[in-house]
Amino acid sequence: MSPPLENDAIREEAGLLARVGAGDREAFRQLYSRWGAPLFSLAVRMVVDRGEAEELLQDAFVKIWRNAPAYDPRKSRPFTWAFTIVRRTCIDHLRRRRHRPVLTPLAAGAGTADSLATGESVRGAAEARDDADRLQRALADIPPGQRRALELALFSELTHDEISRHLEQPVGTVKSWIRRGLLDLRATLNEPAR
Amino acid sequence: MKTPFDEAAGLYVLDQLDARERAEFEARLLHDSALAARVRELESALAERIRALPQHQPPAGALACIESRLDGERAAGDRAKVRQFPLPWASVARWGLAAVAVLGIGIIAVQELRRGPAAPAHPVLIMVGLDSGRSTFAELPLNEQPQSADGRFIQLASLAARFWEKPGELPAAVVSGRPGSRGYALFDPGSNEGFIGIQQLPSAGQGQHYHLWMVDTASGRIREAGILPLKDGDGGLYFFSVPPAGAEATSGRLDFFVTAEDGTAPESDRPKGKVVLGDNRI
Repeated sequence: MSPPLENDAIREEAGLLARVGAGDREAFRQLYSRWGAPLFSLAVRMVVDRGEAEELLQDAFVKIWRNAPAYDPRKSRPFTWAFTIVRRTCIDHLRRRRHRPVLTPLAAGAGTADSLATGESVRGAAEARDDADRLQRALADIPPGQRRALELALFSELTHDEISRHLEQPVGTVKSWIRRGLLDLRATLNEPAR
Repeated sequence: MKTPFDEAAGLYVLDQLDARERAEFEARLLHDSALAARVRELESALAERIRALPQHQPPAGALACIESRLDGERAAGDRAKVRQFPLPWASVARWGLAAVAVLGIGIIAVQELRRGPAAPAHPVLIMVGLDSGRSTFAELPLNEQPQSADGRFIQLASLAARFWEKPGELPAAVVSGRPGSRGYALFDPGSNEGFIGIQQLPSAGQGQHYHLWMVDTASGRIREAGILPLKDGDGGLYFFSVPPAGAEATSGRLDFFVTAEDGTAPESDRPKGKVVLGDNRI
């Protein structure tokens, strides 16, 4: 069950997305201010090149504007819906350039001071650093197979069939790892700070 | 007890299901509150994972660029279709003078549809030969520097007509030796106008349209030149124009290709369909 504050945020975003679907440019700007950074970070993680990631972010937000009228809140949270659009945009791009993404190890870059965007406040940087540290600890608690399957499913263009070949595991095992990996990550992140 | 749908929930959230599996899952999701709760839980984990990535702020002007594109799309609602000269390639030679006269009328008609009177400065025309697997590039110097945009257009159109009428006069660099679909694009980078001649293109599939695209190979920027109004015939000679490059001036070789796009899909400023003519760049 999602905590109440999270539910409020989801409701707010669903309301904004409904307004975007009706052509409300101000609501679109508000969603961009919420999602711009995490979705740009996702694009950078997937395609590595910042310039390409910027172009793909733009493409994705144009799609968000166009497809907002078709968003169905019964099927997904607004952020998941937007994540899917960005991910598909990145995957289309990666397939076009016929280049496998760089599959960096989980620990690489996460939470280091120089990976934080310049211009953030000291407080914001500290919070981001704390989040990243928390994530690192959470990921460390997930068994390696689950962690690898989860990261490949999230950030590469591989399908779960391809992940199963890549990891030399049955498809059923990979499906289970992906689901368990997400749940374990969620459970660990919800634990009180150690 | 865990169901196959529970097992698929993680794949659904991570967009790892194919279209059929996704549709089945969503149909179930609408009526299964336990499954919906499971999905919400996984979505929360996904959101946390994404927000915990090393955060990069998008460049300051990114939102303005997006809004500018949205404004541009609205303004371009009446996107131009490529206009066709009613001449099948193979029959032109037999038509002789009559065909030349029709072509002349076509040029005048297209001239009236053109925009902008300014005389462009580029001293060359771009020529790209196309076949089903590749494209070849050549530059054609203008015989004389026209004083007006109309004069330059007449030169462009006359060359297009000549090559259409006498394919044997095409520059050797752009002639394909391969069997099957082929053609050429003749483009004026100064006016962003051009002609494309196509031969032996198979009929588009049900609900599909052929789209012509232009790509700047250095920047990768793609501009759509329009929809080829092919119906029963397998080709023709077409006039097209593309939006100006704007501040982002052409920086590399220009190339052209034709894709078969799904006519029922939402409009896109990027090619999605299979490349049927020219270099496969997508």
